[in-house]
Amino acid sequence: MLFRIDPTAAEPLFEQLAVQVRSAVARGDLTAGTRLPAARDLAASLAVNLHTVLRAYQELRDEGLIELHRGRGAVISTRAEQDYLPLREALDLVVRESRHLGLAPGTTTALLKEALR
Amino acid sequence: MSTRTHPTPPRTSRGTVPHRGTTTVLTLGVPAVVVLVAVAVALSWRDDLPDPVAVHWGSDGVDGYGSLTGHLVGLTALTVVLCGFLWLVGFLGGRDSLTRRLAAGISVWSAVFFAVTFVGTLAPQRGLTDAAETGSTSGVLLAGLVAASLLGALAARLVPADRPQPTTAPVPPGAPTVPLAATEQATWVREAAPDGARWFGIGVAVLMAGIAVLSRQWGVVAVLALVLALLVVMLGPWTVTVDRDGLAVRSLLRRPRVLVPLEEVLEAEVVEVRPVHEFGGWGLRTGNGGRSGVVLRRGPGLQVRRTGGRVFVVTVDDAPTGAALLNTLAARARHQDDASPR
Repeated sequence: MLFRIDPTAAEPLFEQLAVQVRSAVARGDLTAGTRLPAARDLAASLAVNLHTVLRAYQELRDEGLIELHRGRGAVISTRAEQDYLPLREALDLVVRESRHLGLAPGTTTALLKEALR
Repeated sequence: MSTRTHPTPPRTSRGTVPHRGTTTVLTLGVPAVVVLVAVAVALSWRDDLPDPVAVHWGSDGVDGYGSLTGHLVGLTALTVVLCGFLWLVGFLGGRDSLTRRLAAGISVWSAVFFAVTFVGTLAPQRGLTDAAETGSTSGVLLAGLVAASLLGALAARLVPADRPQPTTAPVPPGAPTVPLAATEQATWVREAAPDGARWFGIGVAVLMAGIAVLSRQWGVVAVLALVLALLVVMLGPWTVTVDRDGLAVRSLLRRPRVLVPLEEVLEAEVVEVRPVHEFGGWGLRTGNGGRSGVVLRRGPGLQVRRTGGRVFVVTVDDAPTGAALLNTLAARARHQDDASPR
């Protein structure tokens, strides 16, 4: 999968990483049993501190989204087998309707944030 | 390995193949010496050997006989054809150190394996009048395999590495890219998984191992175990990484690996790969036109055209994302170089 981080963004780096894993699972790009890169490799690759990646992985483990095994690295857990399809379809609908109404992306995300509160 | 020519002509001048002298010494010279020594040793034993000599063993002992001369001609012809072919591959298509290493390694491996098994199976026949009395020689197979693997690996190591060939050429405007902010860093990691071919190979090896265990040919068992281990490493899974260093493709044990530095990337693209047609099989390969690859399945692969006329391909899912990121990072690195010349 594609990991991208922006050190100039306000969001902490570990959170940026965790968000991408969560979205990849929801999109269906990461499925149960898929191995994430070793924390050390990913940290070196992105030129970030090892602890940044470890913190992201620990967050995801605490949420039950991944399992951390000594020596085997991080593996997407069976929780990722939840059916995200209705959510993806609903999101597509939101996007379509927003475009249809000519809403700015900012307006739609604001509405989503409000609704999720 | 396939000798078919590349279906699409290369778009850049390909330059000459480097290190042809070393390729000739390692891929042709060394195997020739090894086989000549084996032939000389066999000829010096001529008067002590039975006629005909035993040339093949089954589970119940010797089951094939032949004349020493025929046996010698067979060994020499086999080596000349195989090593000559590998030399041509390295000499004509060895733009990439990986191709030259594979050619030299396999050539030396074959010559040593043939020579050791040849001499090793003749040695216990000295002084016999009837070759049928020769005992089991399955230990020779193991000795040949170990010696061949060590010397083959040594030959591959002795092949000179590619010298760095950085380019400042811009990535072609039509190449796929991903939108990436100037401040963003990105890494694409993907496991390249093999398809059914690997399981077929492993299945065959397990079946043969089962037969060997039942027939109690322990030399054969050891040989099969080594082949099985090699199969598992070569046929995956491999990890493919695209990041600020370029493209890295690593085996399960991290070695062997293929690294394409970002500054040697001309363009990355997605191509359809047919393992048997284009590479003659699966694994770490040299294919048509000297193209190298980690070929694990049929289907889309990430192909990189790199400097020096080299082309590398790895069969991996979601190759479009990997190719686009590689183009993006290469373009960005060149752009930065323009802005701040060192």
